[in-house]
Amino acid sequence: MDLFTNLATGFAVALTPANLGFCFLGALIGTLVGVLPGIAPITTIAILLPFTFALPPASSLIMLAGIFYGAQYGGSTTAILVNVPGESSAIVTCLDGHQMAKQGRAGPALAIAAIASFFAGTVATIVLATASVPMSWLALKFTAPEYFSLMVLGLTGAVVLASGAPGKAVAMVFVGLLLGLVGIDVNTGVPRMTFGIQELGDGIGFVPVAIGLFGIAELAIALGRPQDRSLLSVKFADLWPSWAEIRACLPAMTRGTVIGSVLGVLPGGGAALSSFAAYAFEKKSSANPERFGKGAIEGVAAPEAANNAGAQTSFIPLLTLGIPGNAIMALMVGALMIQGIQPGPQVMTSQPQLYWGVIASMWLGNLMLVILNLPLIGLWVALLRIPMRMMFPVIVLFCCIGTYAVANSVFDVWVMLLFGVLGVFFYKVGAEPAPLILGFILGPLMEENFRRAMMISKGDPTVFVERPISAVLLLMSVALLVILVMPAVRKKREEVFQE
Amino acid sequence: MGRGREGRGDTAGLSALVSRINIPDLAFALFLVALGVLAFVFSADLQVGRAGSMGPGYVPRGLALIVVAFGVVMGVRALLAGGLAFPEIAWRPLLLVGAGVGLFAILLPLAGLAITSAAVVVLAGYAAYDVRHSENLILGVGAAAFAVALFVLALGLPIPIWPQR
Repeated sequence: MDLFTNLATGFAVALTPANLGFCFLGALIGTLVGVLPGIAPITTIAILLPFTFALPPASSLIMLAGIFYGAQYGGSTTAILVNVPGESSAIVTCLDGHQMAKQGRAGPALAIAAIASFFAGTVATIVLATASVPMSWLALKFTAPEYFSLMVLGLTGAVVLASGAPGKAVAMVFVGLLLGLVGIDVNTGVPRMTFGIQELGDGIGFVPVAIGLFGIAELAIALGRPQDRSLLSVKFADLWPSWAEIRACLPAMTRGTVIGSVLGVLPGGGAALSSFAAYAFEKKSSANPERFGKGAIEGVAAPEAANNAGAQTSFIPLLTLGIPGNAIMALMVGALMIQGIQPGPQVMTSQPQLYWGVIASMWLGNLMLVILNLPLIGLWVALLRIPMRMMFPVIVLFCCIGTYAVANSVFDVWVMLLFGVLGVFFYKVGAEPAPLILGFILGPLMEENFRRAMMISKGDPTVFVERPISAVLLLMSVALLVILVMPAVRKKREEVFQE
Repeated sequence: MGRGREGRGDTAGLSALVSRINIPDLAFALFLVALGVLAFVFSADLQVGRAGSMGPGYVPRGLALIVVAFGVVMGVRALLAGGLAFPEIAWRPLLLVGAGVGLFAILLPLAGLAITSAAVVVLAGYAAYDVRHSENLILGVGAAAFAVALFVLALGLPIPIWPQR
């Protein structure tokens, strides 16, 4: 099968009325949470996860993916109009976007953000479609040691990207791995670390952990901060950028897309990293860098293209190898496993409708977003005027219902509460929860591949470095860690997270 | 990072000692040690096996030891190179959001979704510093109606709407 038949399969799936609806719903919800500061896409995906059980796998993933890239569109709106990032990948958009808005050019800034996102989304969809062929070829060479090493690389990437002390991030990975092992051992049927609690037999629920850490904890933290939203208004008629502005942005958009596409695929990569890198690159390579931070339109175009490209290409390792590269992809693994699909290279061949349907839906979703976002700008602005105090109690309720609904279990609600409190503790001590959730998801998978690899090698750990692909993956992890502890890089990294 | 340089020489008392400890790091370190020890104790009766054929206890115990090791190293470092107080916690949002979740877990089996939803939203609503009583009450009733309509009537989740007798 070649690319075009595959894409035709994909569009056939994505264009069914039901899936178009779910794609639209996902993109709309994504924009909504992207616009609203304090509600991250990861929180939303965690909360909505339980409600996707009843959907077919393709529809479920199409909707959840829509939330992720939809949020990239929405986040820029708040960044430009309020100077508050609607979500983390829009932080750099504040720098020049809000300056443009102050100079009365909010309209062009919003339009360029949307156009850049759409451009990047289109390219990233093509990248996703073409990358899958070599990736699936590579995946065939993967056995237990390679999978183990790949997961090591993924976790290393998560550590590099976590803000704060790297040591804490590594510790969080191990905490996640350990928590992931609670429950009945698949190989022997022995319950492990369950404290004799029957509900823990299947392990600590993924949904209560995710909603606790990213929903409940985030809300409790956000409410403790002062709320400040002074809005700059914008009218639809003022939206259009001039032809000269678009032309000025085209190279920036292209560079942003390339950076985003590459960084999205890397383990630990994704939307936020891509936008930081693209902005830094634009500023460095510009002929007059002093314009940046004072309303340079390229400073909006490049990161907005990059975050959308990165959001989409971070699906590549998930869909082809079954390995989540970041915490949001870890939630997608959860969504697939709940549907009874074990993520891995076999998904592409055994579930072509799912695989290509999701890819095709991304382009359709991007199209909907660019058409939707600009005319509806008034609606998003109105939403920003709803005070936080009227939204968060309802979100708390949805968190509870969502967690309860997974297994009709009150026990899970208590687990969610525990992880909510833990999440606040982690925030206060400066330990980020994203590495924990990745470790939690990968824990059982890693253990199984580790045990299998060691069984094949009769207990000889050199198997991980004797096999070439595995050795390369481990070498990359080591290189990442070495780079991380180098003083110069470390300083730079702190600077980036400061902004 | 500002490492407490001012405690040099003159005041030697307990407060000077405490000011040299990185309390957030120490707290995290203690958490790691506690978690690791707990995991180690509760996987003590699991068979460990050999590297070539691992029992169910091999990986959990290994991970537990690693977590403890991280805790110990981090704890020692926190004691030596410190000088950071524990950040202030906004107790009101944390306690009331938490109370809302706890209320949901207790009330749902007794009172059904409608009453539980309204109660949780009203209670959690007080987590906001700028809460308004009447607005919050209306929000609770509205959210309850919305939750019942969406989750039970539209999505068909098997949750009782009213108290079961």
